[in-house]
Amino acid sequence: MFSSFDLSRRQSDRIIAGVAGGVADELGVSDSYVRAAFLSLLTVWGLGGLLYLAVWLMTYDRVEDGDKEKVELPRALGLGIAFAGLMLLLASLGLWPNAALVLTATALAFGTAALTDTSRPGPFAALLDPDVERTSRMRVFIGIALLVGGLATFTSSVGRVFEFGVVFLAVVLTGLGIFIAFGPWVRRLLADLASERSERIRQEERAELAAHLHDSVLQTLALIQRSDDPARMAILARHQEAELREWLFGAAPLDGVDLVSTALKTAAARVEADHQLPVEVVTVGDHPIDEAGRALVGAASEAMVNAAKHSGAPRLSLYFEADEEKMSVYVTDQGKGFRLEEIERDRKGIAQSIRARVERAGGTVDIASASGEGTEVILTMPVSRA
Amino acid sequence: MSIDVFLVDDHRLFLSGVKAELSEEFRIVGSAHDVDTAIAEIRGYDPDVVLVDVHMPDGGGIAVIESVGETNPGVKFLALSVSDQAEDVIAMIRAGARGYVTKTIEPPDLADAVRRIHAGDAVFSPRLAGFVLDAFAGAIPSDQDPELDQLTAREKDVLRLIARGFAYKQVARKLEISIKTVETHVSSVLRKLQLSNRHELARWASKRHIV
Repeated sequence: MFSSFDLSRRQSDRIIAGVAGGVADELGVSDSYVRAAFLSLLTVWGLGGLLYLAVWLMTYDRVEDGDKEKVELPRALGLGIAFAGLMLLLASLGLWPNAALVLTATALAFGTAALTDTSRPGPFAALLDPDVERTSRMRVFIGIALLVGGLATFTSSVGRVFEFGVVFLAVVLTGLGIFIAFGPWVRRLLADLASERSERIRQEERAELAAHLHDSVLQTLALIQRSDDPARMAILARHQEAELREWLFGAAPLDGVDLVSTALKTAAARVEADHQLPVEVVTVGDHPIDEAGRALVGAASEAMVNAAKHSGAPRLSLYFEADEEKMSVYVTDQGKGFRLEEIERDRKGIAQSIRARVERAGGTVDIASASGEGTEVILTMPVSRA
Repeated sequence: MSIDVFLVDDHRLFLSGVKAELSEEFRIVGSAHDVDTAIAEIRGYDPDVVLVDVHMPDGGGIAVIESVGETNPGVKFLALSVSDQAEDVIAMIRAGARGYVTKTIEPPDLADAVRRIHAGDAVFSPRLAGFVLDAFAGAIPSDQDPELDQLTAREKDVLRLIARGFAYKQVARKLEISIKTVETHVSSVLRKLQLSNRHELARWASKRHIV
């Protein structure tokens, strides 16, 4: 495999000279495993080191347009300390090479490599994130198994022959090395969590903005498209501009509490759009919207729709007045009017539903109409004191 | 005797539209689309009624009303606007306009308003009636001239009916009074609006940015 003419030393993402990285690129495997192989071979009379030197001499630095030439220091340090721990073991054992030792070193090296492979999801992600593919999870399990197995082999076959202190130091060093090697994963995991949270907040804001634009600006644009009266278009546009300006720069009405007048204007705008009928809205005083207010707005909407459908009037008036005791809504049309006993069932049904809605919330409904003189629906609702 | 009408609006399209609507019944003596031209030409023509837009560059309708009012006190102003801003409308009335209608007004109603203004009456659109009711709502301030600072119950009744979309004629019938009485009430409200130094009026106008 080293006969390949293209083998070169990787300049980015390297630990020593980029030899392992170059080999990994050439073989198409993750550099972690190549590094593990070099480390493991080190335990066989330092073969790994010799091999590394040989490849280094035979190859050249790859010319890269890359902007990232940085060595991953913490990981290099981690692997180095882990390697030093192994070397310390070797020295104190005086057994070099030793089948058990080589096995141990190989297991530890590949186990670490499997867990620190930066090109794949990290161990935490692989275990916790349900979206990670199964192979990644398998890889993590194999890595852990290798680490545990390596340490077990070590204690059972080699560890007995020398003092506890050295073993302890070796294990601590190895563990520390692995910890440092894992560091980037932990950091990345935390960074992922933070960025995920801020992304979620951004998305919520975007959704709120979209909802607002839909309720206001898009509605108005739709109204303008349906309108062929330039004056009305201008009214709509200017009204929308004012509303949008207030939403963008102004304080929300009454500390973010929606007002009955605002809801009524929205309802009137909807009737205008749905029925191509101008609704003149006049409000005096205001009240934050509550259950009674919602019932009032709902009933007023129905009254407007009713008038738009049946009155034949060219326009509607919506008058709202609020004081400390009560809120009143007058939906007035100058249409053909009706006598209560003569009206069609549909219209009667709506009138009854308006009445039911308002009376449930504690209000009263008056309907004044005379044939040829238009209709006025008067909704009165006592103000609840918070 | 035909009524001489002058139009001031910075939207030329709207200007020509109104001109077309009113020219059958009234003599449109001229029009202007900026404040300075308007002041100069109104002084020259001395028309009976001026329809003036609230929002224009260089001072808006208020500047026109105030400047012309000093030299030609006989000229009567009707504020005509798409503006929904209460303080602008109230300021126009306080500057001397005898009425305020929105630009959505139907042509016959606009013609009616011009006639009414010319006759010396006040023209209250539903929206202006709402503004006034809002401005005069609440507790009575202890002021030197309490009569100017509050509306009578009857005046409020009249304004409420106007705000509900009823014409003066309908208001009169509903309250079982004559149209003349309705006009008297409305003129009285206009006078209070113009002369009252009820401090709540200014405060109310400034706190209501958008109506």
